[in-house]
Amino acid sequence: MSAVATEPLYPPTGEPASVNARRNRLGLWMCIASDITGSVALWISYLYLWSLNVNNGWAPPKNAFAPAWPFWAIFGGALVSTVLIWAAYKRLAAGHRGAFLGLATLGSLLILATFVADIVQLSTFPFGPGDGAYASVTFWMVLVVAFHLSLLSFLTLGITLRTRAGRITPENPSHARFVAMYMTWVTVSILIGAILTTALTTSTGTGGPAFGTFTSQGS
Amino acid sequence: MSATLTAAAPPHVPQPKQHGKPGGFLRHTNIFTGLVTGIVLAALTYIIGSHWFVPWGTQNSTYNQVGFQALIMATFIAWVIGFMAGIGAFAGPIRWMLGHDLTHDDAEYMAGKHQGNWRYFKYTTDHKVVGIQYLVMTMVLFAVGGFLAMMIRTQLGVTWTSVFQPNFYNSIIGTHGIVMVIAMIIVVSGPLGNFIVPIMIGARDMAFPRLNALSFWLLFAAVPPLVANLFMGGIRDGWTVYQPLGAQAPIGMIGYQICIITFAFSTGIASVNLITTIVTMRARGMTWSRVPIFAIGILASSIMGLIWFPMFQFSQIFSMSDLALGTSFFLPTRGGSVWLYENIFWLLGHPEVYVIVVPASAALLELMVVYLRKPLFSYKLAIAGFAGVVGISSLVWVHHMYMTGFAPSVGYPFMLSTELISIPFGFIVLVMLGTIWRGKMWTRLPMLAVFALLFDKVVGGITGVYLSDVPVDQYMHGSMFVVAHFHYMLMGAGLFGAMGAIVYWFPKMTGRMFDEKIGQIGFWTAFLAFQVTFMSMFVAGLQGMPRRVMQFDSAFRVSNWISTIGAYCIVIGMLIFLYALVSSWRSGKVAPGNPWGSKSLEWQTSTPVPLDNFPVLPVVTEDLYNYGIPDPYIETEERLAQDDNEGVVV
Repeated sequence: MSAVATEPLYPPTGEPASVNARRNRLGLWMCIASDITGSVALWISYLYLWSLNVNNGWAPPKNAFAPAWPFWAIFGGALVSTVLIWAAYKRLAAGHRGAFLGLATLGSLLILATFVADIVQLSTFPFGPGDGAYASVTFWMVLVVAFHLSLLSFLTLGITLRTRAGRITPENPSHARFVAMYMTWVTVSILIGAILTTALTTSTGTGGPAFGTFTSQGS
Repeated sequence: MSATLTAAAPPHVPQPKQHGKPGGFLRHTNIFTGLVTGIVLAALTYIIGSHWFVPWGTQNSTYNQVGFQALIMATFIAWVIGFMAGIGAFAGPIRWMLGHDLTHDDAEYMAGKHQGNWRYFKYTTDHKVVGIQYLVMTMVLFAVGGFLAMMIRTQLGVTWTSVFQPNFYNSIIGTHGIVMVIAMIIVVSGPLGNFIVPIMIGARDMAFPRLNALSFWLLFAAVPPLVANLFMGGIRDGWTVYQPLGAQAPIGMIGYQICIITFAFSTGIASVNLITTIVTMRARGMTWSRVPIFAIGILASSIMGLIWFPMFQFSQIFSMSDLALGTSFFLPTRGGSVWLYENIFWLLGHPEVYVIVVPASAALLELMVVYLRKPLFSYKLAIAGFAGVVGISSLVWVHHMYMTGFAPSVGYPFMLSTELISIPFGFIVLVMLGTIWRGKMWTRLPMLAVFALLFDKVVGGITGVYLSDVPVDQYMHGSMFVVAHFHYMLMGAGLFGAMGAIVYWFPKMTGRMFDEKIGQIGFWTAFLAFQVTFMSMFVAGLQGMPRRVMQFDSAFRVSNWISTIGAYCIVIGMLIFLYALVSSWRSGKVAPGNPWGSKSLEWQTSTPVPLDNFPVLPVVTEDLYNYGIPDPYIETEERLAQDDNEGVVV
């Protein structure tokens, strides 16, 4: 009875925070499921166009594929910051608010730096988005990573500020956990993207359909 | 279902610091601030962007001719972001980040407490307000789509002259298609899913009230770019916008794409909210075997929307990117594939049919037990039907691509899967028929809508089985037969089912009784005219009339005249129904709390429904649909058996 009495309550409705947290967790899983489907559309596009190599149009001019190391560097940044946020959450759940703030601040700065690196990568590709199918899909893969990282920058900054404001506490740390869960999915998606864009570059597809000679502006 | 109301003393809830007056920034925002901010931001983007995008497009030969499209894309995106900012959609996330959590007073203000009708024009979180907003938005979309439909039928009926320019006619076709698809997707899940489902499961609100408001206003923001396309060259490639035609389109195509991308966000958010609400917020005692069938239908529909809408969204992101950024996802000259578009598009495009039909069917299953006063025939079979539709719906998309040359060898497995989906759909029809069987029918309009839905669904379903066959589809694919088929499924089953459902819950939503005398005239006029219109279209299709044409052989004239006359009669019927709806809403007889004597929870609370839905949360104590009227056949059998046991000689 006393455990129930001391459980924090969700102010707008008066429900126990754990009830609200369960609801939020399911909502987050649904968001991740939807996000996965969108990412799958991107990965299918990559694999499909890579395998078909329509009109030998997969590779960018002069086979100038994007260098591999930035993809892995960005994955590394996302991975380390995810580990930091998980560690921060564990420390908070154990009652160490100060440790949480330190680790979460570090994690949020790192994710911000990863976001900046992603933008730099996007703007320094050796091809334009229209230089073949590889260029198009890779451009959008990196753009989607940028979107995810910007969202994570917002979320990690949010849990840090909220903890400072006393809204995330050792008794009610669910928001920190949710951010860490979402970061885990984003890191996995970055990993899959990095594998695709670095392991499957040169297409061996030669039997793809030609689809005639459509032109892009109907001339 | 029987329910008891339990009261518990509300605990004292510590509140966070109140920053200013309740509602904060949202006190100053409404639809007008949204419109102004959206228009101003769009205009600024256009002016500033014209100095950047167009030179960027013309300076680089790779991006030749794409600069202006990119400018239009940026302008539409600015409109959506500006509108959402202006109506206050970003206030919640910013408050969250700063740790300024909502107080109880904030939440009540945002739910529209003491704001009268003004709350319908604000970023209001109350699910009942959002339900009404969706209802009005749906009616507006049907009006726009219906007007465009009449333009199409006028052109096809006036066979001796051309009413429209061919390109404009094509634009009307495409815009009509997508407007109606959007309207049909939201017609049940939007108004009824939001207004009714939370009350029906005994919840105080949706799981995420702010997401509820977000989903509606995103839909609102998505519509202007779509309508604008008609004035910007239009979408001339049908609502599916196949590639590479889409990449060769005028700038109006950008409006279509922005609309779809935004609408997909809206639908995804609404799906997350509905699923979470149904799974986690059911009343105590409402076990899974006691969940109302309508809530199950909405759950099934939301799952399909959640999973497949992102595919649809990305198909449009890629095609807009091809058009405005010069990428080559779907342009074969630069390594793209038109099949890729069709695959991604139809991965949602076909489940979307079930996103439309499943909630309408579920709504009618829900209401027919009330008018028949008997339990649902095999609740579990209905659940199996919905589950089967959800599962198989993701395995049928290729039947739209038989004629594209895409992997002919997979045509037959997909033919089989498409035919298989008629089995779970058959379960749902069987449950309807089984429930009607030997029932004492109360012949109100919603109950009669069940028969309309059954008829249309059977016609649409059987013709769908034909079209799923590869050999038949090779003949029928590009014909008016297909047009008639999908209208039977979407309009015949979806819309007429939705009309019945809206009439059923009308007293709860508006506090007024629906004028069924006038409503029946409108409903049946529209229904009969619908048969005239689309049966005739089946004939035209069987005769070989191709779809998407404005001029055709004289052999098809008679069937087109009949279709056009039927279409005008549909409009007459719909206008009569609309009159009944509006006049009843304005001045209809005041509705009692439970005019149908239903046992489900939404009818147990007062009308108009209070802000928190129930004075105290209900506890469910009985099984579903237990109306206590035994099946007359079983009753007779039991009596005879009892007489035999007592040795009574008849």
